[in-house]
Amino acid sequence: MVIVKRKELTLAERLYIPEVLRGLRITLGKMFQPKSTRQYPEEPIPSTEVTRGQPRLAENEDGTLRCVSCGMCEIACPAYAITIDGHEIDRPIEREPERFEIDFLRCILCGFCEEACPKEAIWMSDELELADTTRKGLIYGIEKLKRPASALQKRIDYVKRINDRWRTFSST
Amino acid sequence: MKITVNGREVEVDPSKPLIAACHDNEVDVPNYCYHPGLTPVGSCRICQVEVQEGERPPRVVAACRTPVSEGMIVDTNSEAAHETRRECLEFLLKDHPLDCPICDKAGECTLQDYTYAEGQSSGQSSEPRQNFEKRKSLGDKIVLDQERCILCSRCVRFFEEVTEKPQLTVAGLGSRSRIETFGDRDLTGNYQGNITDLCPVGALTLKNFRFKARVWNLVKKGSTCGECSRGCSVSVEVLRQGEVKRIRPRYNEQVNRWWICDTGRFSSDRANPEGRVPALLRGYSGLEACEVEDALDSVTSAYRAHDGHLLVVSPWVTVEEGEALLELAASLKTEPIFLSPTPSELKDDLLHTGDPCPNRRGLMDLGFIPKSPEEVRELLSTAETATLFGERIVELIGPEPLDELPTSLRLFLFDVSGIDAPAIAVHCGIASWVERGGTWVNIDGHVGRIQATRPAPAGVRQPLSLIEGLLAAQEAVQ
Repeated sequence: MVIVKRKELTLAERLYIPEVLRGLRITLGKMFQPKSTRQYPEEPIPSTEVTRGQPRLAENEDGTLRCVSCGMCEIACPAYAITIDGHEIDRPIEREPERFEIDFLRCILCGFCEEACPKEAIWMSDELELADTTRKGLIYGIEKLKRPASALQKRIDYVKRINDRWRTFSST
Repeated sequence: MKITVNGREVEVDPSKPLIAACHDNEVDVPNYCYHPGLTPVGSCRICQVEVQEGERPPRVVAACRTPVSEGMIVDTNSEAAHETRRECLEFLLKDHPLDCPICDKAGECTLQDYTYAEGQSSGQSSEPRQNFEKRKSLGDKIVLDQERCILCSRCVRFFEEVTEKPQLTVAGLGSRSRIETFGDRDLTGNYQGNITDLCPVGALTLKNFRFKARVWNLVKKGSTCGECSRGCSVSVEVLRQGEVKRIRPRYNEQVNRWWICDTGRFSSDRANPEGRVPALLRGYSGLEACEVEDALDSVTSAYRAHDGHLLVVSPWVTVEEGEALLELAASLKTEPIFLSPTPSELKDDLLHTGDPCPNRRGLMDLGFIPKSPEEVRELLSTAETATLFGERIVELIGPEPLDELPTSLRLFLFDVSGIDAPAIAVHCGIASWVERGGTWVNIDGHVGRIQATRPAPAGVRQPLSLIEGLLAAQEAVQ
């Protein structure tokens, strides 16, 4: 059994007013210090090139998808989040995805799809926000996924730089 | 005859080339132009192995064109063999476009496999790649990509040797050689699809499968083709437990060897019927959806209320279902009949028998009596209740004659997809041949198993479970 002995209050403490003033001093002092709370979502989280946000499909300058629906990301995805159906098109690159779906309820943002892609078509963007009122709304199709390559350029340059560095290391 | 392969003494068949001796003894020798069903020509040179005969020093030979001889010592993994294979791959890949991410063959392409195995992915040539036609249509079934072609000439030999009607040839000389049809005509015949299986690369592709699925996503199950009474062994390939994407031949020495006809191959298009329903019951406003149990109750109460039953089963019914249906026929006191349509004009000398009854022999052996659609129509006009059971029975009798039947006849239809004929009182959907297991016996008495490759749609029952439901209700009455 533990006997808790209550501390005897001093006279100043028992008078109450000095203690209130001591508390107010801390409060007022903090009011003039710089804020440490971020006003999210008005104030967005700063992203870097290393940020691995949601995967996005890169578009060429002419608005065509780089993706040829080869299915490499689909098979690399550890969470089975990607579903692709291809179809034939008239361009010299004969194949394009008819359906490219990423289920963001499943996606774990691991970046394996980006690594697996042989056509530099899927990139981890800096977009991280994800909210919807339905499950269906979080399964993104091509329209929601595609971005001009320029919007993903920061990440593209970063990954290429890292890959090149890895290549020089591994070849020596 | 005895030879030594990779240090192991094996017994070989002297009539077969060396490559077949290696394959028979589970030693992998790469091959593109060699196919066990065609004459070896030795054009790709990838099958080179090191061979020592007698006192002579070892030399590298093409295994597909070398006959076996007594005491031969073969090394498939020697440095010299790998070196020649790598050189050979360098030549094969010189004009190959390497568009594997787009190519349908990726994943089952032997050029891809052996390039990985040998590690030879780059060449020394500084010449630009030659460009050929990428999308050359060879009729309504096949597309040829001349760039991907490695000129193994398997397709050329297939038409020369198997169908014995040459249609393709290697045109042009030297590095400008390419596969072409005679006079740029379209391919004809019922065996064209086989050349897409034979093609070791993605040069010949099927139009109906082109860019539809990646092959590693397909679930493949061995089954038996039901388009004719030959019962060829096939592999049914399904994407994401849904659509049957393609049907390919499966080697069976006794029945179809490596081939199937296009009727069987393109039955994949028909294996995905729309609008499947578990059960429909005739109500005031036509056929209405209901529970399967209610439909079966309605059938058995009609069996009790009427006399003059007729039971006609489809030739697609398996032996197992046939046995259960015999019991049902006995309890209805009617003779077991199976529908036996007249052979079609598709009959040929190679595989297709023209007879659209995959289980004719099995049903005959069980004691079912074959009746032509005309005879069945006559019987239908005199019966009080008629039970039509099995896949494709509506199609084989013909939908129009069923439409004309009087409403006084109580017609119970158990088929994969039905019609809305006025005489139909009950229609129960059943699992199709890609959704159920069983046995068919082909015309020569060979047993062919069918296997469920995908689940039946929600609520749709297996035929055997429906027959058992009917039998249980019949027994409860007696």
